[in-house]
Amino acid sequence: MSTPARVLPQDRPAALRVLGATALVGVVATVWLGLFVTPPDQFMGNLVRLLYIHPPMAWVAFLAYGVATLASLLYLWPRTRAEHFDRLAGASAEVGVVFTGLTLVSGSIWGRPTWGAWWVWDPLLTTTALLFVLYLGYLALRRVPGEFHVRARRSAMAALIAFVDVPIVYFSVEWWRSLHQAPTVLNPTTHKTYVHGSMFWTLLLGFVSFTLVYIWLMAHRYRLARLQDLEDVEGLEVALEERRAEGDAG
Amino acid sequence: MTGVGTRTGDTFSPHDPLDDEPGSGEAGTAPSAPGRRSITLSPEQRRQRRRLEVVGVVIVVAIGFLVFKGLTSAIVFFKTANEAVAQRATLGNSTFQLEGMVMPGTVRTIRDSAGTTVAFVVESSGVKVAVTNTGSAPQLFQPGIPVIVVGHFVGTTDRFASDQILVKHSNSYIAAHPNRVRAQNGTTR
Repeated sequence: MSTPARVLPQDRPAALRVLGATALVGVVATVWLGLFVTPPDQFMGNLVRLLYIHPPMAWVAFLAYGVATLASLLYLWPRTRAEHFDRLAGASAEVGVVFTGLTLVSGSIWGRPTWGAWWVWDPLLTTTALLFVLYLGYLALRRVPGEFHVRARRSAMAALIAFVDVPIVYFSVEWWRSLHQAPTVLNPTTHKTYVHGSMFWTLLLGFVSFTLVYIWLMAHRYRLARLQDLEDVEGLEVALEERRAEGDAG
Repeated sequence: MTGVGTRTGDTFSPHDPLDDEPGSGEAGTAPSAPGRRSITLSPEQRRQRRRLEVVGVVIVVAIGFLVFKGLTSAIVFFKTANEAVAQRATLGNSTFQLEGMVMPGTVRTIRDSAGTTVAFVVESSGVKVAVTNTGSAPQLFQPGIPVIVVGHFVGTTDRFASDQILVKHSNSYIAAHPNRVRAQNGTTR
């Protein structure tokens, strides 16, 4: 076996840089529209402005877990055991956990003035907290040392189990009684939106921008994982070289 | 799931690296060189493993707690006013969440030396329950909206004493002054 070719992924692919810049512009535009251009809500007043970031964050968490699940399935299913699917699952789930955390925090900040409580044990909130912990567990499991494919298979199965909670979160507002309102966009029952003019367009921009942020973060995390794996292989090669040198010397 | 050793393309030891029992495996092939391929964990790896075990325990406990909360609190997060009155006998003076529409014209706020008290009537499917809340109401509280109050029935009456009001709001967002450039308070458009 020869030394693996030292072809490192290009440090900063141009497409990624363009994507990052676009995502940044989108988020800035969402914040600007959300804070200064859109009108206050007739019931919530200025508290409505959290609408433009909170649901997009929750959406990204769902999207990220969806991608992680798909990647895990693809890793397991065709028995290709392709390393890139495992890395994709890990990268996506990690971004998902970050956005689940952001969803919980922004929702809590929104809940205090609107509901009158930072936290309630209602079905949506409880299942979302569970989602956060389940995927933290998944990320911890990924770090349990082991041979690459043993670890990857174990992680992929855990990812499939954790994903069971995602539809439960989504339908919780319909299945059980909840303080949290049903989703405004992508409502499981009506598929209608009830948002006024510029508020709707700003919300839509929020969804698009946060999705771009997700892709950007996920691509970078994937790249990092790939570099780490390359470094491990490289490290092993170096170690073997040293041993051979020792053997030759002895 | 342990002991899944030999998969395709193993470049490393086929043993499960978690299995670090002293003396298991690694039978005398290279006794002189404990090296990197050995299954014995370095102190660094041991620390990492212990940390992961602690993380694992914390996560399992958290999952258990959340599932418990889900089964106890979240499944029936509130009872509507008519349900609560119908189950009055079994509910006794236990604490639960009561939901209903705040009836217009019933809200009274009393401020005295003991603090603020808000009294109002909630209604659900025609059944009314008088609520006395200790403490002030949240800022969005107003007549004509659904609320959830946390508390219990008083004595043997159908009166409800609460210490928290939660304001439910819908998923509709409607501009406060759609035809105006500037809101009346002048802060934002």
